[in-house]
Amino acid sequence: MATDGAQAGAAAPLKVLGRRLARVDARERVTGEARYPADLALPGMVHARMLRSPHAHARIRRIDTTRAEALKGVLAVVTAADFPELPVGTMIPMGETGYDMWMVAELNMARRKVCWVGQPVAAVAAVDVHVAEAALALIEVDYDLLPAVLDIEAALADGAPVLHEHVLTKGVEPRPKTPSNLCSRTVIGRGDTQAALGQARAKARASVRIDTAHQGYLEPQVVVAEVDANGFATVWASTQGQFTAELMIASMLGLPASKLKVVPLEVGGGFGGKIAIHGEAVAVRLAQRCRRPVKIVLSRDEVLQGGSGPAAAAMIDIEVGAGEDGRLVAIDGTYRMDAGGLPGLSPSLVMQASAALYQCPNLNLVGYDVVTNKPRTEAYRGPGGIQAAFAMEQAMDMLCERLGMDPLEFRKRNASVTGSTMPIGTPFPSIGLTTILDRVAEHSCWRDPLVKGNFPRGRGLALGYWRGTSMTSAGHITIAGDGRPMVTMGPVDISGTRTTMAQVVAEEFGLALEDVHIHTGDSKSVGYSDGAAGSRVARTATAALVEASRDALSQLRKRAAEKLQCAADQLDYAGGAFRARQAGGAAISLKELMAATLTDGAVIGRGVSTKLPLGVEIGAHVCDVEVDTETGLVTVLRYTAFQDVGLALNPAAVEGQIEGSVVQGLGWALSEGFDYGPDGRLRNASLLDYRMPTALDVPKIECVIVETPVPNVPYGVRGVGEVPIVPPGAAVANAIARATGVRMTRMPMTPERVLAALQG
Amino acid sequence: MKTLIDCTVNGEERSVLADTRDTLLDLLRDRLGLTGTKEGCGNGNCGTCTVLMDGAPVNACLVLALEAPGRDIATIEGLAQGGELDPLQQALVEHNGTQCGFCTPGILISAKALLDENPRPTEAQIRHAIAGNLCRCTGYGKIVEAIAAAAAARGR
Amino acid sequence: MQEFVYERPGTVAEAVAALRAGDARALAGGTDLVPQLREGRRTAGRVVDLKHVPELTAIAALPDGGVSIGAAATATAVARHAEIARRYPAIGLSAQLIGGVQVQNRASLGGNICNAAPSADGVPALICLGARAVVAGPEGRREMAVEEMFAGPGRTCLAAGELLVAIRLPAAEAGSAACYLRFTPRREMDIAVAGSGVWLRLGGDGAIADARVVLASVAPTPIRAPSAERKLVGGRPARALFEEAGRLAANDARPISDTRGSADYRRTLVAVLTARALADCCRQLEVEGADR
Repeated sequence: MATDGAQAGAAAPLKVLGRRLARVDARERVTGEARYPADLALPGMVHARMLRSPHAHARIRRIDTTRAEALKGVLAVVTAADFPELPVGTMIPMGETGYDMWMVAELNMARRKVCWVGQPVAAVAAVDVHVAEAALALIEVDYDLLPAVLDIEAALADGAPVLHEHVLTKGVEPRPKTPSNLCSRTVIGRGDTQAALGQARAKARASVRIDTAHQGYLEPQVVVAEVDANGFATVWASTQGQFTAELMIASMLGLPASKLKVVPLEVGGGFGGKIAIHGEAVAVRLAQRCRRPVKIVLSRDEVLQGGSGPAAAAMIDIEVGAGEDGRLVAIDGTYRMDAGGLPGLSPSLVMQASAALYQCPNLNLVGYDVVTNKPRTEAYRGPGGIQAAFAMEQAMDMLCERLGMDPLEFRKRNASVTGSTMPIGTPFPSIGLTTILDRVAEHSCWRDPLVKGNFPRGRGLALGYWRGTSMTSAGHITIAGDGRPMVTMGPVDISGTRTTMAQVVAEEFGLALEDVHIHTGDSKSVGYSDGAAGSRVARTATAALVEASRDALSQLRKRAAEKLQCAADQLDYAGGAFRARQAGGAAISLKELMAATLTDGAVIGRGVSTKLPLGVEIGAHVCDVEVDTETGLVTVLRYTAFQDVGLALNPAAVEGQIEGSVVQGLGWALSEGFDYGPDGRLRNASLLDYRMPTALDVPKIECVIVETPVPNVPYGVRGVGEVPIVPPGAAVANAIARATGVRMTRMPMTPERVLAALQG
Repeated sequence: MKTLIDCTVNGEERSVLADTRDTLLDLLRDRLGLTGTKEGCGNGNCGTCTVLMDGAPVNACLVLALEAPGRDIATIEGLAQGGELDPLQQALVEHNGTQCGFCTPGILISAKALLDENPRPTEAQIRHAIAGNLCRCTGYGKIVEAIAAAAAARGR
Repeated sequence: MQEFVYERPGTVAEAVAALRAGDARALAGGTDLVPQLREGRRTAGRVVDLKHVPELTAIAALPDGGVSIGAAATATAVARHAEIARRYPAIGLSAQLIGGVQVQNRASLGGNICNAAPSADGVPALICLGARAVVAGPEGRREMAVEEMFAGPGRTCLAAGELLVAIRLPAAEAGSAACYLRFTPRREMDIAVAGSGVWLRLGGDGAIADARVVLASVAPTPIRAPSAERKLVGGRPARALFEEAGRLAANDARPISDTRGSADYRRTLVAVLTARALADCCRQLEVEGADR
């Protein structure tokens, strides 16, 4: 049987993929035409604001909205009483674990109790934001204050105030009968770690703390909701997943999914923070009440002060040991993750990620998920990865020092290879870690000696691993009357995937990129697709759209065979035309074919990808720093990121992902950390004091791309965007240690902390 | 309270009714529908709302709409001339200097002001000129390259 | 945000009259005032826009060799003014520390003074150089040292209805130099954790004849560091002397601990910045003492 698409000839050179092509949506971005939810203004639209808890921990005794409702210009006021109560464990599907709607409901509107400063307790829709704000001040909330726990130690202390009465620690046998702030305990292990450490020739230990950081997307959360006369709701949102948002909104409102459509507009940065809804269901409820479109725009203060989910703080202890030959014998790790005010993710992925790149016979990794009276945390680009690597890669670096071994040589000796046993016990699929390490060894960033400066300089190396996920993606391709493919993809584009997916379809059809039209469907116009998260979209959408392309082409082949009056398997397809294989055979282009057969019915190719093999991400980073030993200021002089991407669908886009991800990592490494006061209020809730790097704070990030294809994945594509944020904290810390001899145990490594460490 | 504001925006004289509490950013986005200029923080710390006021880049969120009368305002919508992208826009497209796109209009306005004044900036001068514009996606490298390339193209 | 009346006077007299009405606030660049009003951190029933009073935005060389800077002149205008750059480089460089380019195009030295933040980067160099404030009020005009304008965080000594018109810098003295350095974790778009401005005048014998040290972000207002100044006067420029002056300045500081830094760290920074700023003055004067 004839097959269509580029991979029909397995070794055919790629024409569109692998090229540095401009984004298909670049022009609207540079002209200001790209449309984000904040840019929408619907006729009759009104504006809503949320009232947020000023307390870190309190019981809500009573909420009186009478005075607010009476204010001129106020159209609707809602509290948790206006939403159905969802019991703990009301699950909606989301990846491998699902999502507990009780938590989603709590972070959108607190019921009975608040667990962090900034948690919403009421919302007001009014004719303008000024009236809405004035109305907030008229809502009376009677709080019963409770003592708060603001860090992991306080939360786990004996007699600590308990946030949630239903939390009985999972993973502890027998299961506790009394509630606590420890939500789960997870163990991954093999061999006898304690015995191996006892016999190790050299050991090293890193005990670190990492402060909460924020994804820092420049676009605050925004939603516009409209309800029509039939009760059908349309929500325009800045979301990483229109289907996940739809499930969440429907569940929170008790609304059938068929009565709701979520339209994903441009996302002004998400990085994991725009998976869960933050106000979308509230906007719909307000729109139902006031019968007008409702817009909610979060202020930057709200985004930072409890209105969105930042990344988890952590306390991590790692001990590693090696034998005489420099081979690792044991890794012992304890990972305590601060989930904020609601239970968080199992630390399992983080634990696996931090140990995955080393072949080690004895492992004992124990993880804890802890709740505290701070904003409920959410995913942030390789969630937990940078925290764990900050500990693990420093421990490895210290072990190198004890062994007197070059850190690159040490990694080479212990690197996981294809077939090595992963922490969870299964063999590694095809990976290119040793290739990466060879590339590091020959690169000037590693070989060139450091140039002397005014202050001590050092070079650090750190590795990063991220597993990513697959979940499901759908897409379909309609062939336009002129023969061009019109692509509707399911996953939201947060990383340039409309461009790379248009490249995939162009490659499959043998067309130029300009011949492909692509857009992301809303939740009623494309098949169910999970959110854009876990470095999964490029890989799984490629699979779905390769399938859809081939489906469409096989339908077209039948029509071409009829037109050319030959058997379908006697046609060759290339460059947008079918040609009869015999010498001098007739040909028909897609354009001609569609012009001739348009009224024979639509040609729609469909594709779905589920349970695709993982596209694990691996990187190695080399960082040079200078440390001002009088002020503690660390300057990153040079930074090089090596990464295996399987196949770089578009090298410019891949570099863009790596460079941006690294700079986010450098921000957390050096200057980004939430500073909570004793009352649980964030003291640096502005982009002035929450210091994300400016163009002057970072060097040009150099990228070295390695391509080790993933078997059984179309084009061998790996995930790209998450792993580059994993190594920077450790790479900087290792460079500081090499420059000064001092180990940093707290991240961010602010100048004050570095100076304190230098002064012992 | 509403008041009539007369000002020049992208070369056009505009008369618009604004709330006295509006910022210039509100005036542009909500009253004139020029939504290319973005709001990222509302207090001058991110640069997404950068526009030119009498040729100088300013944060529109820090300017009252009431200060606009008599001023010449230029926004991202006015950068391309007659459908032709400005060399800076073209360079940003070609160098993949835009990702999520939210900072892009502000970056372009800052870069435009830089090149209007200093046609051949050094890398350090480019980085300084956009230091008031946070970008969370690109790590800045490709933006800096694009601005340098646009300067070089202008110079030819 | 509450409603307010907006006024746009054309003369100093009109501005003073507008400010006399209760609950009025002067608006220069607005980079502090506008977000303060939006976030409810300050309130105003009346906002008086000073930018249309020519005297308030003018920068002019004075016959005595000094320079007058209109209170509402932008930081960019100050930084780019040729006479300021020539006679008082520290003033132009300080102006370029205020926010990023966008903020400098709006913010004014007068606003930097009147917002009275202890961290104001524009202020220490002015005090070092002996700047005087020209103030207009209902009773007429008066002059005072810029140093004496501060009453506390966010508060100046201006009476209701008084308006800062201009800052007058006296002629630069021969053999003198000034430098203001601040420390921020980011290179731009940041607030000083601590800052130190210094001014030195060398005598004919090469010894320090006069010195001023002014600290930012380490007290409720910008403050002088008298013990550091006493130590410097009479000494010869040398690294050891500068480091000692830095230590004394750190002692003179009265910092608090907050999200930007602990009191101890601020003191450490004062010592480092003071010594570095003194070394910079030596470089400007082309005398030894600069090398670390």
